[in-house]
Amino acid sequence: MSHLRLYTGIYVVLFVLATAQVAVEFAGLLENAYLLGFGLIIALSFVKALVVAGYYQHLVWEPRSISYLMGIGLLAVLALTFAASYSIT
Amino acid sequence: MTEESTDPTEPDEPDTPADGAAETERNAAPDGGTTEADGGAIAPSTGGGELVESPGHEEDTHLPPLGSLKRWFVTTNHKDVGILYIVTSLFFLIFGGVLALLFRVQLWTPGATIMSGMGYNQAVSVHGLVMVFWFLSPFAFGFANYIVPLQLGAKDLAFPRLNALSYWAYLFSGILLGVSFLQEAAFAGGWTMYAPLNIPIYTPEVGATTTVLALLFFTASVTVSSVNFLTTMHRMRAEGLTLRRLPIFTWSILLTVWMMLFAFAALLAALMVLSSDRILGTTYFAAEEGGSLLWTHLFWFFGHPEVYIVFFPALGVMAEVFQTFSGRRLVGRKWFIAAMVLVAVQSFIVWMHHMFLTSINLQVKTLFMATTIGISLPFDLMVFSLIYTLIKGRIRFTTPFLFCFGALVLFIVGGITGVFLGAVVLDYEFRGTYWVVAHFHYVMVGGVTALIGGLYYWFPKITGRMYDEFLGKVHFALFFVGFNLLYFPMFVVWETPRRVFVYDPAFTIWHQIATVGAFVLGFSFLIMFYNLYKSLWSGEAAEGDPWPYSTTAEWAVSSPPPLENFPGLPSYADGKLSFNGGGSASAADGAGGDGAAAADGGVAHADAAAAGHEEEHADHASVWPFAIAVGAFVTFLGLSGVSTGGIYPYVLLLGAGVLGASLLGMAREPFHAPDRPVGERWPFSAVENGKLGMWIFLASDVVLFGAFIGSYLFMRVAYGWTDWHVVPHNSTPGLVNTYILLTSSFAVVVALVAAEKNSRKGVVASLLVTFVLGIAFLVNKGIEWVELFYEGVWLSSSIEASTFFLTTGLHGAHVIVGLLIALFMITRAWNGAYLDDDRPIEYFGLYWHFVDIVWLFLFPLFYIL
Repeated sequence: MSHLRLYTGIYVVLFVLATAQVAVEFAGLLENAYLLGFGLIIALSFVKALVVAGYYQHLVWEPRSISYLMGIGLLAVLALTFAASYSIT
Repeated sequence: MTEESTDPTEPDEPDTPADGAAETERNAAPDGGTTEADGGAIAPSTGGGELVESPGHEEDTHLPPLGSLKRWFVTTNHKDVGILYIVTSLFFLIFGGVLALLFRVQLWTPGATIMSGMGYNQAVSVHGLVMVFWFLSPFAFGFANYIVPLQLGAKDLAFPRLNALSYWAYLFSGILLGVSFLQEAAFAGGWTMYAPLNIPIYTPEVGATTTVLALLFFTASVTVSSVNFLTTMHRMRAEGLTLRRLPIFTWSILLTVWMMLFAFAALLAALMVLSSDRILGTTYFAAEEGGSLLWTHLFWFFGHPEVYIVFFPALGVMAEVFQTFSGRRLVGRKWFIAAMVLVAVQSFIVWMHHMFLTSINLQVKTLFMATTIGISLPFDLMVFSLIYTLIKGRIRFTTPFLFCFGALVLFIVGGITGVFLGAVVLDYEFRGTYWVVAHFHYVMVGGVTALIGGLYYWFPKITGRMYDEFLGKVHFALFFVGFNLLYFPMFVVWETPRRVFVYDPAFTIWHQIATVGAFVLGFSFLIMFYNLYKSLWSGEAAEGDPWPYSTTAEWAVSSPPPLENFPGLPSYADGKLSFNGGGSASAADGAGGDGAAAADGGVAHADAAAAGHEEEHADHASVWPFAIAVGAFVTFLGLSGVSTGGIYPYVLLLGAGVLGASLLGMAREPFHAPDRPVGERWPFSAVENGKLGMWIFLASDVVLFGAFIGSYLFMRVAYGWTDWHVVPHNSTPGLVNTYILLTSSFAVVVALVAAEKNSRKGVVASLLVTFVLGIAFLVNKGIEWVELFYEGVWLSSSIEASTFFLTTGLHGAHVIVGLLIALFMITRAWNGAYLDDDRPIEYFGLYWHFVDIVWLFLFPLFYIL
């Protein structure tokens, strides 16, 4: 399962994505188009998280049930966060 | 075929007469089994001739005999731990019950009589906490510990030492709760601990902090237990025992534990934030915008599933007992299970019905009213299924049946009165009245009623002795009358305001009836304790299966079951329970009814010619779980008053020392808990136990961090998203830390590669790099924090600062834990570990990468956006 070259490639991808995320801020997107910048930055976080989980935590090679397990946990807190934030008057 | 001697005449080691349960044990057949078809685990109709494991076998496990006190401190066996849970929870029933009697006396007339206002508030608050957390759930989990592995066909839980740890953490968290009374005052703001009453301005006592920490400690115990049970129930089922065939009680526990995993993680987050507000001085729950509301969201996101967490096991007991004493399989069994699954899922989307009188908007109230009505539907199905089972069966009115039938009646009353509360407009009127008190006591104590039925039902299995049936029925009669005398008047005078002891004098007679009922209810338990205690010593010896028509596997072995539970490897592969690799047992002769113990997977029968298997050595004793719980207890005690100075900081240091040393002790102790060679493992068949345990733990950690991040987002929305000030001045240190953590994650996978290549130096070097990078992360973070402190930005400066320091601080704590594990692993790797088995590195990696992933979200949320 473990291939040094693959791991190294993933590391480079993560490094680039992390840099890209900050580049979105430095490009001034948050000042000019906050929602777009916000969306991009959060999307980049999710992409990085999926890459780490998929390849460093080996989820792509594990049974899907593990991914669903983590997905359920994530769904639960997203439901809590969105419903709670929406409830504010 | 087995390595055990199969000579049934192998000499007995006399049991110590000090233990009633042990007295009945005979060693007619060693654990490896016998070739006699009838002489296996069950010795039908031979009175006291129940069978247990060979004493010689028990010596192998370093587990002291049942009669020795030492055994109960070191045991990791699920049956012992189950007994400890049951006995301890009954102690907490008395604790919570005495508190209740105190305030029922206070309520004899309107206005104060025997307690001060503060005393009353403490009694009410701690009564609620003790009954919900320290009695109800652990009582159910006593049975879960004892019965579930037997119903699964497992020898023990997946992680026996963690199971013992859960128990000791539970016990010591309860002791900590008791200690809180002695530190000025225990928490007195109600069991729901609503903000802002829960912050130090309103509840400044050290004891109030201790109460919060006791609950936090308890929550930690629950999390460990959830991980353990889920791994066990998904990975250690007997061959052929698919989820669909699982006995109903085990099903109810499975769903309970799934709910526990996610719900208690949210509670853990809430309690950590509250502890931080109380000890470190963050200002979450004091925040004007959203502070109080945040607590209710976090608490009830946990709290509503908690209702089913305490009720589901009771439902499982009811279904099990109804089946046995009506001689009928549960009507609509498949749909009953489906309904339970639905409730478990729906339980996470109804929490705001506890908040109809807060400032949440009308749309969301309407939505949650709808989901609440929705969750009552599957319950209707379950209730009707139970009723039809009784109608179609031939009922035998034994004590367990009476309690479970009583529970069904009480639950129907509790359920219907709850529907009123689920309607927004009615709740405006009912909220904060005794209608609520009466409703949830009918539901919760209704659940207790079924569990008491469970106690009578399994008492002969656990002790090998029969209780006194007449006294059991007297107990039920007094219990049921006392219950209704106590709680029904609360519906009648529902306008009594909750949480205070002043009420309309016109209600006095009803409250006096309730108080009389409380004493009748309390007295009925004295009969139970007398009955069970006396029966334990001198009750009629129970057979392996004293209940005709019982269908589950625990009745197919002797009472009490031997240490390793079964005379071979249980299997349901051919549709009925058989034991491979040893003598096996028929429950037939004892069963009387249809002639065989038809286990829920099929029929238990003799299978003398079954194939053999190699008996694996298993450990059953460790002192470290106890030591860890003691260390944690002292640590929490020190933490409770650490901000007040005095002796507390030293207590904290002492506790941390004991905790650290005993954790190290447990990590270094060789302990073998064998996995079963074959079995049902859906849906985790390809994931080894340790790995699955880690993943399940991480799932709960997702909810923990998610709730922290969610709290930040919620507070920011309440505050005004764009008015919010980002605390760090620039994002560079955060970016550097992102690079550092990504690199450290890379180093861990390189360590894995090195281990596979058998390179000791490679493993040590890679783990060292991980360690150094982790330190660098903390140093970088430290510099950033010190700069902020220097500028006068402290945890209590603002809600922005509170969320920033606490959320990134929790992450930092995870990094520190990871570094301690890494340090431990480096020393082991130095001595050549992990080369032939790299799984520990992989599992550590799962944790470390998770911590990395969390940072990938914290960085943009707290530094950029």
